[in-house]
Amino acid sequence: MTAIAAVALNTFREAIRDRVLYLLLAVALVVVAGSRFVAMLTVGSETKIVKDLGLAAVSIFGLLIAVFIGVSLVSKEIERRTVYTLLAQPVARWQFVAGKYAGLLLVLAANVLVVGGSVLAAVGLLGESPWGLVPAMALIFVELGVVAAFAILFSSFTNPILAAVGTFAVYVAGHLSWSFDLLKKRVTTGAGRQLCDILHAVLPNLDRLDLKADAVHGAAIPAGTFAAAAVYGLCYAAAVVVLACIVFERREFA
Amino acid sequence: MSAVIEIRNLRKAFRGHLGIGSHVAVDDLTLSVAPGEIFGLLGPNGAGKTTTLKMLLALVKPDSGTVELFGRSPRDVEARKRLGFLPENPYFYDYLTAVEFLDLYGRLHHLGAAERKRRIDAAIERVGLTGRERTPLRKFSKGMVQRVGLAQAIQHDPELVILDEPMSGLDPVGRREVRDLILALKAQGKTIFFSSHILQDAEMICDRVAILFKGKLRAIGRLDDLASPTAKWVEVTVRGPVPDGVPGTRRVNPDGTTLLTVTGFDALAPVVSAVTAAGGTIAGVWPRRESLEDLFLREIGRAKTEERAS
Amino acid sequence: MTRSLFPAALFLAAVAGATLSRARIVALEAPRAGTKELLYLPNGKYLKAASLGQASVVADLVYLWAIQYYSDYDRADRYTYVEHVFGKVIPELDPRFVDPYWLGALILTTEAQDLDSGLRLLELGAEKNPREWIFLFLAGWECDHVKDYDRAAAYFERAARVPDAPAPLVRLVAGMRARGGNLREAIAKWEEVLADPRGDEASQAIARRQLRTLQVRADVKDLEEAIASFRERQGAMPRRLDDLVRAGFLKRLPLDPDGKAYRYDAASGTVTSDASRVLGS
Repeated sequence: MTAIAAVALNTFREAIRDRVLYLLLAVALVVVAGSRFVAMLTVGSETKIVKDLGLAAVSIFGLLIAVFIGVSLVSKEIERRTVYTLLAQPVARWQFVAGKYAGLLLVLAANVLVVGGSVLAAVGLLGESPWGLVPAMALIFVELGVVAAFAILFSSFTNPILAAVGTFAVYVAGHLSWSFDLLKKRVTTGAGRQLCDILHAVLPNLDRLDLKADAVHGAAIPAGTFAAAAVYGLCYAAAVVVLACIVFERREFA
Repeated sequence: MSAVIEIRNLRKAFRGHLGIGSHVAVDDLTLSVAPGEIFGLLGPNGAGKTTTLKMLLALVKPDSGTVELFGRSPRDVEARKRLGFLPENPYFYDYLTAVEFLDLYGRLHHLGAAERKRRIDAAIERVGLTGRERTPLRKFSKGMVQRVGLAQAIQHDPELVILDEPMSGLDPVGRREVRDLILALKAQGKTIFFSSHILQDAEMICDRVAILFKGKLRAIGRLDDLASPTAKWVEVTVRGPVPDGVPGTRRVNPDGTTLLTVTGFDALAPVVSAVTAAGGTIAGVWPRRESLEDLFLREIGRAKTEERAS
Repeated sequence: MTRSLFPAALFLAAVAGATLSRARIVALEAPRAGTKELLYLPNGKYLKAASLGQASVVADLVYLWAIQYYSDYDRADRYTYVEHVFGKVIPELDPRFVDPYWLGALILTTEAQDLDSGLRLLELGAEKNPREWIFLFLAGWECDHVKDYDRAAAYFERAARVPDAPAPLVRLVAGMRARGGNLREAIAKWEEVLADPRGDEASQAIARRQLRTLQVRADVKDLEEAIASFRERQGAMPRRLDDLVRAGFLKRLPLDPDGKAYRYDAASGTVTSDASRVLGS
């Protein structure tokens, strides 16, 4: 357990000292601050703009961090061969992967807290209660956890560029899973339909983790839906991380 | 006393690009390293030294054959607890300081906080990095990186230290320091296994060597035993006349002295008598045995001949 | 053996957990109203900004989605957002995308029975695409459908004025005027068609036929109006058509397109002509 913690802490340190992280964070905070001014242009509810932009900032910048820092985590170590000394230590390969993932989650949590916190503050300053946004932010974090898992998985067997492309592709496909429902009604039974079914089941239904619209419009989110969505995201991420561990276990470092 | 490292019939081949062709990196290698010895794995670049080392550390899986560390598989975490490793041309995390780096590795060895601090300080002092422990690693020179790598390899007091080309890229002072460190480690009862293509350093410190060429083991054993018996000779520098009939070859030096090469120490005494009797002065006597380099080149030459023949 | 099974077992357990919770989410989802999806379709301008230079592709995607969306007839609140989607979102992304305008208009006029909104969409399409006659044509067609002939004629007129519009459009204008009872203008239009040097044989033939028919209708109308006035003033129907001229209700008697006189039935007061046996009047 301490091995995972040691790797996680190291990963966190590595990300924290990466200037890219601060750049992304700064832009995100500028967006949140700027939303206040953008909101002045609207007629009607000002808070909607601030909430929309704020949640988008948390989500998009979180995504960028998850992908860019995530894919470099394992790939960079392999490329620069720092992984050799690390694996020569009494640490199992799966602990290495799990530690990297845990470290990445810490970074993402920090991002969600900082940017999310500023969104809550911005909404609060407009005089409205921002707490309805919290469940949506929690699920954004779960969604980021799924994306990060894929980033780690891909980077454990390909180079950073392919891993980044793959992770983005999964993200986009995950958000289009609603179209599979529509497709299924149109495509007749047969090979095409089976492919649809398989893809729909396998790809992460990231749109089901998206409660931003409900949060922004103040719709109450039933606890059952939230719990089911959170469990889904956690299980899915766990499955992908386990897969990454299995892949990494078999990897050779010629 | 059981072997620290036991390799039997180890074989590893790599497939070429797109699955076309294959290259045998290690071919039927068998060797064992006893506790407390300094063992050198020698060979030219591409001989399979690094691949062998990687198989020792479970970074690469052998196609066939066995590798054992302390009687266990390298994949066993218990085995890796007792070893320290320094790779060739190491990079370490740029953004960490030396202390943070060593602390990370200390944690991976499950050392407590106080214990870690003690050992880190000791290791830093041992490798001569005192005063630089808080500098970020990206500011380190190559020699300093090598030292911090050594610190990481020894700080947890391992029984076995594995080094891949530890002297590469260092200046003579650096190489001397590494040699001294290795000897000091042996004095502490540790086993050291290192690979190198710098033969002079190996010659100076190794107890036993193995010579690898194109994945095959060409020679293994103590240096004295390996060197061909006929290769022990004496070089005698004579000023003045040299009588004929003296066994061994002779060569005239630029400064007028003659260099006699006498084969075998037994033949030395009669030669000295003969020269003195002829009126010559013995300016110098150097007993030589075949250097490691000579042995090395001889083995390589033999291997190439065999290859051409087959 | 157990060591290598453990990760696989863990993986399967996680997959099982994911599948079960997903099924739960789907089960809980069912009662959600469909329009909630559309709450989040942003204004076209924002979408355009977000599309990062792929506005045209995004327009296509939105259109494809909209088609699927509106294929679902069980949806509650079907028509609330039609104008928004087809009039505000897609045109912002790609104003020259022709199909969405008329598809949206079709949904509005045919299904929602909302002619004005449909016409608005078509007008928008025409405004953004001044060289496309199809929008004005469809607008005219819709007006014709609800028997608003004046508006139909006006639209066909505008459609005909678009450069490279097909020639028959002018005929439609005339036809609409005729249907609307505006005979004088219809005749003027048909004369225009006849006089057009670019006109082909078919158009001219049709024009001639229509002019005949319309002339008969116009004459009959004039005669019947005069008869009605006569009856009002004189208290009785005229015995012959000449009476109308003699009594001053008509300047002269018109002749039908064949040059024959109009027949008059004093009993019923109707005017007929042999020449009227052409394309229905």
